[in-house]
Amino acid sequence: MRSAVRVGAIAGAVTIFLAAVGLIGNFTDLNLIGTQVTFAGLMILTPPLLAGYVAITPRVEAGRLIELGRGEALAAGATAGALAGVVFGAFVVFVDTFGVERIREVFINISPELMEYLTQGRTAIVAAAILVAVSVAAGAAGAGYRTLSDPIRRPLGTAVWVTLLFGFLQRIVPIALDQLDVERDWMYSKVTGGLTWVGAVVIAAVAAGASVLKARKGDAIRAAIKGQRDRRADGPRLTPLSFALMLVGLAVVLIAPHVLGSVISEVLGTVMVFALLGLGLNIVVGYAGLLDLGYVFFFTLGAYTLALLTGATLNTFVGSTEPAIAFNLNFYVAIPIVVLVAAGAGVLIGAPVLRLRGDYLALVTLGLGEMIVVLVTSPWLEPLVGGPQGMRDITDAAIGNFGFRDPKHFYYLAFAFVVLALFVSWRLANSRVGRAWTALREDEQVADAMGVSTTAYKLLAFAMGGAIGSVGGALFAVKIGSLTPASFTVLVSIQVLGIVILGGIGSLPGVITGSLVLVGLPGLLREFEEYRLLAYGAALVAVMLLRPAGLIPNVRRSRELKDEDREQDKWASDVAADEHAATPITPLGEGAG
Amino acid sequence: MSSSGSARTVDARLSGFATLPWRRIILVVLGATIAFVAVAGAYKTLTLPEGERYSGDFWIDQIVNGLGQGAILALIALGYTLVYGILRMINFAHGEVFMAGAFISFFFADAYLKSGFLDSNTYLALLILLVVSIAGSTLVAILLERIAYRPLRNAPRLVPLITAIGASLFIANAFRGFFGPQPYGYPLPTLLQGSIGIFGISVARVQLLVFVTAIVAMVALQLFVNRSRTGRSMRAVAEDSEIASLMGINVDRIVVITFIVGGILAGIAGLLFALTFQQVQFTMGFKPGIAAFTAAVLGGIGSIGGAALGGFVLGVLQAVGPPLLLTGFGIPSPFSLKDAFVFLVLILVLVFRPGGLLGSGEAEKV
Repeated sequence: MRSAVRVGAIAGAVTIFLAAVGLIGNFTDLNLIGTQVTFAGLMILTPPLLAGYVAITPRVEAGRLIELGRGEALAAGATAGALAGVVFGAFVVFVDTFGVERIREVFINISPELMEYLTQGRTAIVAAAILVAVSVAAGAAGAGYRTLSDPIRRPLGTAVWVTLLFGFLQRIVPIALDQLDVERDWMYSKVTGGLTWVGAVVIAAVAAGASVLKARKGDAIRAAIKGQRDRRADGPRLTPLSFALMLVGLAVVLIAPHVLGSVISEVLGTVMVFALLGLGLNIVVGYAGLLDLGYVFFFTLGAYTLALLTGATLNTFVGSTEPAIAFNLNFYVAIPIVVLVAAGAGVLIGAPVLRLRGDYLALVTLGLGEMIVVLVTSPWLEPLVGGPQGMRDITDAAIGNFGFRDPKHFYYLAFAFVVLALFVSWRLANSRVGRAWTALREDEQVADAMGVSTTAYKLLAFAMGGAIGSVGGALFAVKIGSLTPASFTVLVSIQVLGIVILGGIGSLPGVITGSLVLVGLPGLLREFEEYRLLAYGAALVAVMLLRPAGLIPNVRRSRELKDEDREQDKWASDVAADEHAATPITPLGEGAG
Repeated sequence: MSSSGSARTVDARLSGFATLPWRRIILVVLGATIAFVAVAGAYKTLTLPEGERYSGDFWIDQIVNGLGQGAILALIALGYTLVYGILRMINFAHGEVFMAGAFISFFFADAYLKSGFLDSNTYLALLILLVVSIAGSTLVAILLERIAYRPLRNAPRLVPLITAIGASLFIANAFRGFFGPQPYGYPLPTLLQGSIGIFGISVARVQLLVFVTAIVAMVALQLFVNRSRTGRSMRAVAEDSEIASLMGINVDRIVVITFIVGGILAGIAGLLFALTFQQVQFTMGFKPGIAAFTAAVLGGIGSIGGAALGGFVLGVLQAVGPPLLLTGFGIPSPFSLKDAFVFLVLILVLVFRPGGLLGSGEAEKV
C-alpha cells in the first residue's frame, strides 16, 4: 500500500507537469476518437492508469516473490489512482484560488482555457472531486489490466494502442486513403478530425484479431516465413514464402510515394536522410562503441562539400554570387569525392582523439560538431560558404531531365542510398572487420591483446561512419536545394544519436524503426513540434532506464541477454515455489539499496 | 600505453598501416602547426600599423572581462568536477542546473523591480535572489540525481552519459514549456550599474560583485571539503567508494550531497551570469555548460583547485585569444569565433594534456 501511495503521488505530480508545459491545455481540441477521447483527456488519464499498473508490480520481500490477489491489486491500483487524483485535484483548486491569470504571468501554459477544460464550468472543488473519481477508476483499470490472463490482456492492449495510434495519425491515414480513392468518412470524421467510433471499433477489432492470431499461430507463421529455426545460424534463411514477402514489401516501398502523395513523401525523404545518418553513426557507436556526439560534423561537411563541388552559389540579400572557390561537377561525380573527403576528415579528427576514454571522446566530438557550425556561420568563411545566409542553387542530381528535387522523386534517390548503406553495414557487421569492432566495443584491452589493431579499426570506424554521414548531408542538400547554418546544429547530432539508441544500438532494423519513430512521427504530427525535444529527452532517459537495448535489439546481444533473463526467471520461480522457505534469501542485486 | 609504436602481430591487411606511429606523427604535426599559427597570429596582431592596432586599455578590459566570466565558469566547473570526482561521470545536464537557478530567480527579480524593492533594498533583494537561484538549481540537481542517475549507478559508462544528454534536453525544454521560448530581460539594480576605478583600471560594479561572490563561494567550498566531516566523507568516497562504504559512510547520501553542493554553486553562478548578461532563456545553459566543462578539463577534472584555475584561465583565453590570434590574419570580427575557440581549447587540452593543468598529464585509458 505504501508503494501505491508513493506511485500515485508521483503520477499526480507528472500530471501537473504535463499541464504546466501545456500538453493538456493546448490540445483540448485534438480529438482522437469521436469528441470524447481527446489528447488532453488522454494526458490526464494516462498517469493514474500507469500508476495503477506500476503499483501492483510483484516484489521480492525477504527472498519471496509477493504477488497480490486480484482484489488486493484492484484496491492498490485504486489507491494509486486516488492519490494521483488528489494531487492533481489539489493543483486545480490551488490554481483556482490563487487566480489563473496571476499564475499565468509566470507559467504561460497554465491558462484560462486549461482551467475551463478541467472544470467544465463547475466550481474547482467539484471539478477536483470528479478528477479524483476518474483517477480512481483509471488506477483500478491499470491494475485490473495487469491482473488479466495473457490471452485476454494481449489482444486488449494491442487493440487500445493501435486504435490510439490511428487516432494520432489523423493527418496521414485519411490523406493516404483519399489518394487511393477509398471511402473514408465512416472511419475518420471530417467534423472532429479524429476517428469515428465506428472506425475505432473496427480498428480495435482488427488489431485484437491480429493479436490473437499471432498468439495462436505465430510460431507456425514465423516458421513458414523463416524456415526451420537453427540456433547456430546467425542470419535468417530464405524460403520461397519469405522471398515472396520481400518482393511484395519492395513493391509497396517503390509505389509508396505515388500512393501517399507529396506531403508524406517529403517526410519520408527526411526520414531516409536521417536513416542514412543513423546507419553511419551506428557504425561508430553501435559497432565500434565510440560515442560520437558531433555527428553533425559529417552531415555539415557532406552538405557543404557537395554544394561547393556542384556549383552552388552564395545567398546574398540581392541575389547570388559565386563562392570564392567554385567547381561545377555532376552530382554523381561529386558524391565519391564527398565520401573521400569525409572519410579523410574522419581519420584526421579520429587520430588525435582516439586514446581518449569514452566520455571524453563524446565531449571532444561534441566540440568538433559545434566548431564546424560556428565556422560555416562565421564572417571568416563567408566568401566560401555564405555565412549566415548560406548557399543556394544546389544541384538536383538530375539524370537527364529527371531531377530529384520533387519529394516524390527524391524518395527514390534517398531509398537507393539507404539500401546501399544498409547493405554495406550488414556485410560489415558479419565480416572480420565487424567482429574486430565488436571485440573493441566489448573490451578494448582484450581486443588489443588478441591482436586486433585498435587504432586502425577505430580509425576505420570513424572513416566509414563519416563517409555515410556525409552522404546523408549531401542528400539533404539536394533535397532542400539551399543551405543555411540554421539546419546544422547540435540537435542533429542528438537526433541521430536518439535514432540509434531508441532503435537499438548496433541493430539495423532498429535504425530504420528509430528514424521512422523519431523523424517520421514528428514530421507528420506538426502540432507537437514544440514538444518534440521534450519527448526526445524523455525518450532517451526512459530507454536507458527501462530498455537499454532499444526497441529492436541487436540479435547477438539480445540472445545473450535472453539467456540471462531465463536464468533469472528460473531463480525467481524457484524462489516463489519455495513458499515455506525457512531461511530468507537475500535477493541478488537488490541488497544494500 | 604505447600501443601504436610497438611491433606485434596485427591483422595482416592493416599491419603496415597500423605499425607506423600515426598518432604521434599526427600529434607532432598538429602541435607544431598550431603553435606556429598562434605565435604568428599574435605577432601580426601586435605589430599591426598604428590606428588598426588595439590599444593597451582594450587588452586590460578584455582581461578584466575574461576574469569576470572566468569566475562564473569556475563556479559551474566546480559542479562538474565534484560529480566527476565522486561518480566518475560527466554530468552533461549540469548546464541546465545552472540555467534553472538563473531562470527561476528572474521571476523574483522582475517582481522586485516592479515593486521598487530591488532598488530600495538592493542588498536584501540580491540576497533573496541568491537564495531563490540556489534553491532552484539545487532542486533540479537533486531530482536529476534521483531520477536519471541513481538507477544507473553501476551501468556501463556510456549509459549514464546518454541519460544525461536526454535529461539535459528534457530540462531545457520543460523550462521552455513552463515559461515560454522567448528571452527575458534580467533587471540590474541601479546600485550595480556603472563602473568604479581600482588602481586606475575601470571595473564594472557588477563584475566586482561577480568576482567577490565567486571567490567567497570557492573559499567556502574549499573549507567545506577540507575541514568538515561531510567533506572528509566526500573525499573518502572520491578515493574509493567501496572502501568508504565499508568504513560506514553512506555513499548514497554523499552522492546526493555532492549534487546539492554542485547545485548551490551552479545557482550562485546562475544569478551572477544573469546579472552580468541581463538576459535569461531556456537555451542559456548549453554553452556555459560546455565552456565550464572545458574549464574543468583544462584544470584537471576531479580536482577542485584545478576547476577554479581552469575557469579563470579559460575565461581570459576566451576574451583575449580570438582578437589576439585572429586579428593579425585579417579575419573579420574575431569574437564571432569565440565559441569555436573554446572547443579548440577543449580538444587541444584533451589531446595534448588530458590530465589538465594540475593533473598527471595522461588520461586514464579506457
